[in-house]
Amino acid sequence: MIRTLLRVLGHEYAVPMRRTVVLMVLTAVAEGLLYALLVPLLRALLGGTPADARPWLIAFAVAVAGYALLRYRSDLAGMRVGTTMLRGMYHRLGRHLARLPIAWFTGARVGEVSSMAGRGLLAAMGVAAHLMAPFVAACVTPLTIVVVITVVDWRLGLTALVAAPLVVAVHVVTARSAAAADTAHAGRADEAAARVVEFVQAQPVLRAGGRDGFEPLDRALREVERASRRRTLSVLPGAVGLAVTVQFVFTAVLALGVALAVGGGPHRTGAAAAGSDGLVTAAELLVILVLAARAADPLLSLSDIGGKLRAARGEWDRLDRLLRTAPLPEPANPVRPARHDLEFDAVTSRDGDRIVLDGVSLTVPQGRRLAVVGPSGAGKSTLLRLQARFADVDGGAIRVGGADVRDMDPADLTARIAIVFQDVYLFDATIEENVRLGRPTATDEEVRAAATAARLDEVVDRLPDGWLTIVGEGGTLLSGGERQRVSIARALLKDAPIVLLDEVTSALDPDNEAAVHAGIDRLMSGRTVIMVAHRMRTVRRADRVVFLDGGRITEQGTPDELLRLGGRYAAFSGE
Amino acid sequence: MTIGQLLRPHVTGFVIVAALQVAGALAGLAPLLAVAEVGRVLLAPGPVEGGHLATVVFLGAAGLLLRLLLTAASAGLGHLLDGRVQLTLRRELAAALGRAPLGWLDHRRTGELAKVVGDDVTAVHPFIAHAPGELTAAFAVPLVSLIYLLTVDWRLTLITLVPVVAAIALVPLLMTSGRTREQKAFDAALGRIADTSVEYVRGIAVVKAFGGADHAHRRFLTAADDFVDIFTRWVRGVSAVAAGMQLALSAPFVLLAVLTGGTALITSGHLAPPDLLAFLLLGLGLTAPVAALGHGFDDLQAAGRAVGRIRDVLAVEPLPEPAHPVVPDGDRLEWRGVRFAYDGREVLRGVDLTVEPGTITALTGPSGSGKSTLVRLLPRFFDPDAGSILLGGVDLRDIGGRELHRRISFVFQDVRLLRTSVADNISLAVPEADRDAVIRAAKLAHIHDRILELPRGYDTVLGEEAELSGGEAQRIALARALAARTPILVLDEATAFADPQTDRAVRRTLATLRDRTVLVIAHRPETLAGADTVVTLRDGVIVR
Repeated sequence: MIRTLLRVLGHEYAVPMRRTVVLMVLTAVAEGLLYALLVPLLRALLGGTPADARPWLIAFAVAVAGYALLRYRSDLAGMRVGTTMLRGMYHRLGRHLARLPIAWFTGARVGEVSSMAGRGLLAAMGVAAHLMAPFVAACVTPLTIVVVITVVDWRLGLTALVAAPLVVAVHVVTARSAAAADTAHAGRADEAAARVVEFVQAQPVLRAGGRDGFEPLDRALREVERASRRRTLSVLPGAVGLAVTVQFVFTAVLALGVALAVGGGPHRTGAAAAGSDGLVTAAELLVILVLAARAADPLLSLSDIGGKLRAARGEWDRLDRLLRTAPLPEPANPVRPARHDLEFDAVTSRDGDRIVLDGVSLTVPQGRRLAVVGPSGAGKSTLLRLQARFADVDGGAIRVGGADVRDMDPADLTARIAIVFQDVYLFDATIEENVRLGRPTATDEEVRAAATAARLDEVVDRLPDGWLTIVGEGGTLLSGGERQRVSIARALLKDAPIVLLDEVTSALDPDNEAAVHAGIDRLMSGRTVIMVAHRMRTVRRADRVVFLDGGRITEQGTPDELLRLGGRYAAFSGE
Repeated sequence: MTIGQLLRPHVTGFVIVAALQVAGALAGLAPLLAVAEVGRVLLAPGPVEGGHLATVVFLGAAGLLLRLLLTAASAGLGHLLDGRVQLTLRRELAAALGRAPLGWLDHRRTGELAKVVGDDVTAVHPFIAHAPGELTAAFAVPLVSLIYLLTVDWRLTLITLVPVVAAIALVPLLMTSGRTREQKAFDAALGRIADTSVEYVRGIAVVKAFGGADHAHRRFLTAADDFVDIFTRWVRGVSAVAAGMQLALSAPFVLLAVLTGGTALITSGHLAPPDLLAFLLLGLGLTAPVAALGHGFDDLQAAGRAVGRIRDVLAVEPLPEPAHPVVPDGDRLEWRGVRFAYDGREVLRGVDLTVEPGTITALTGPSGSGKSTLVRLLPRFFDPDAGSILLGGVDLRDIGGRELHRRISFVFQDVRLLRTSVADNISLAVPEADRDAVIRAAKLAHIHDRILELPRGYDTVLGEEAELSGGEAQRIALARALAARTPILVLDEATAFADPQTDRAVRRTLATLRDRTVLVIAHRPETLAGADTVVTLRDGVIVR
């Protein structure tokens, strides 16, 4: 358990974490040893010599003070490590997400990541801050007490010790079945969260569809309930088993102790001789029973703590799995190409079983423009994504300036490419911040200049708060054409030598259409361009055109050549 | 429905859970009392009566067993009840979201709403599964112990209570006015993390395209750092006090109090030595109520805030449904003097428009002219601020929601496909449609061939087994609208498809739907040419 935790945390937190655990163990041992002083103290009080109790009482008080100091420090250390850890984990999560291939980010991940970032990390942190100390105490203190009992009377001590392997066994068995149930439950909860997001975002469609309920969401919610019921049932035997074990052993100690004490004769008081005849004095028995009660209490709380620990553990495991998802491999010695010629060399790409690109080869010399045309689903967008290394090819290679993109530093590759997506995603921030994403270090003048070139300034003038207007989640405050302008401004600001353009398919109103075309013209000039084009007006600005169908290039040439060819492209262009 | 109403059917369950828990906890006192009794018998002068001792030990063991059975039953029932209540709450929340005006949903972030349905309902867990039983037990058991101990020796009882009083004295330090403020900040910060992580995942392509590895997730990390800062400040405020409380309530401290008092009383002859045992064993239990309060307090507070957010969502008023729905006569659409403002900006400024049945009407105009709003008033995403919209001579507000949707279907600009099978996506509005009807609609929308290429054809789950391109998604949405076979079809910039060939084919399809009324927002000259009427909108009024 601790190992998973340390791995999730990363090395920098391992040392303070270990130190904190050691402090907790020391505190728990101290508590157990503390009770050893009860033996002489109670022997005196119950055995009829209360005057002898005073020095032991003072010793006990001193020991309690020492324990208090340790406990206080260990509690605070737990909290401190917890919050430091929390920050570290957020940063690790954020960094790692940025390095995962885009293909990983399917719709279902939205719920998974958001619940992990909220509840998940907090639960993982809570372990260190709140649960670790009670857990350590519940394991270590009873064990120490049993050792103390054994010193007083080995028979009763050994009887109590029987509990140890039983408790461990019950714990291990429960943990295994409960872990499976927990994982299942967490999976269901994620699914439900993703369905809620979908349900809310799809409200317009669902309402227009005239439906009240949404069966997938309801099914997901029912599954959550079923999973939680299964989890309860899987945990219950463990909790009962633990209680049975502890209580059985406690009863055994009680019965055996009474038998041993009574066996000593018809009239023995605490003042009577010690067990030289193998018997226990009444005072000793009572001390042991008090100690046994002290050991039983924390053990019984173990199933409760164990349950909470398991819940947190499920979260670490999920986090651990995410952190261990392989990012796209990065080269040890990155190549930095001097030029920006683009090349696809027999590139194959699959989406599950379906072949999206099937041995595509093409070249774009530096400073030239290539248009990719074809029916929807032909693999056009995939081509752009592979060029930007959102995913790696399944066969063949993609090169920039002669260097395989897999041999380049990802940050270097990204820095050389500006992309205009078809579906523009805007962050729920000001319109200015969304443009500035293109180059965070840009000056205000540069941001304004890029916006003007994309004719975004007209849009900004119309907005209630101008540049400071918050565009809403996903940019819902802007129309499709306006979002497109933001995207172009972003790319212009980035000023990268390679431009990848995925032209918007839906028709724009004439005003937006003109603005977008003007912006794209500015963006393409003097750069190496691959564009997925839907409008003939855009296609004609390319030096070369490839017609993509079913993942293969079926025609290629200059726009005029292809028109003269009278093939698919000519039919497609409708001329 | 309020939360109280939702919980009412489960009240009996709660009472049973609590009763079992309390009975179990009381039975748990038996072994402790048995030990005290054993002590009294053994330490008493005179011969030990073996039979009496055996009975005492037996009773103690029986008490343990009883406690075990009762608490297990209570915990199991409590959790099952919890699951059921959570399902009820979540379903009701989903229903509330499904009824909420779209204007209301627009102002909220989906991450936050998902958190209400998910985490907030989970946070209610301690209220349901633990609080009723554990809190009652935490007070009932110490009360019984206290009464018993008072009968044994009232002086030592008071001394035993010293640590409890010390802990209670610390409680006010935990509940300052600043704490409430910090709590709110904490919740808000946690909400921001949920939002930014949703953004992060959904906007990952942008993050990838523009991020150096460090800048990309700046927003996420800023939200995370803010949260950790607030959390650290929060924890720092409490942790010293909380640790002090824990310490005061810990077993060593209570034992120290009992032993100090006990030694004094025994030496001075005020207490019989065997009576000390009862205090050593039962005295520790007296801290339970305060410990339970301190321990569960944060959870309960968090649950309280979660309940507040759940209540807010449940309380959202849906658009009013007519008390006596009127069935429209025919399918003529009329806008009469319609005005509508969005966030204080007047988008429609008096629109009068009539769309005759069986015609194609194209709506055009620059962006921001109000075209989309005009169309979105039809499914009552919002109601007009002034004027009215009539369908078959009846105001939309007097037509039941069901009837309205039986007559009009829509293809919106931002197509959202659901993560279900292709067939379910197409038959969304007509769940009873058979496979043939679905295929017919898909063919009309020119997406049938593409669907057959998917891994499992019409049974392919979108978003899991296959991702569709933007143009393909639009055509699925069109198929969905066609499958609904409503007399009126509204298309918002949806006729422009990925490739010109399909676009032409789809336009031909629309032209053949002569029995239907088609209202289309369009810009392409080809579409405008194919329309019977072209309406141009500018700045919220019809100019032509």
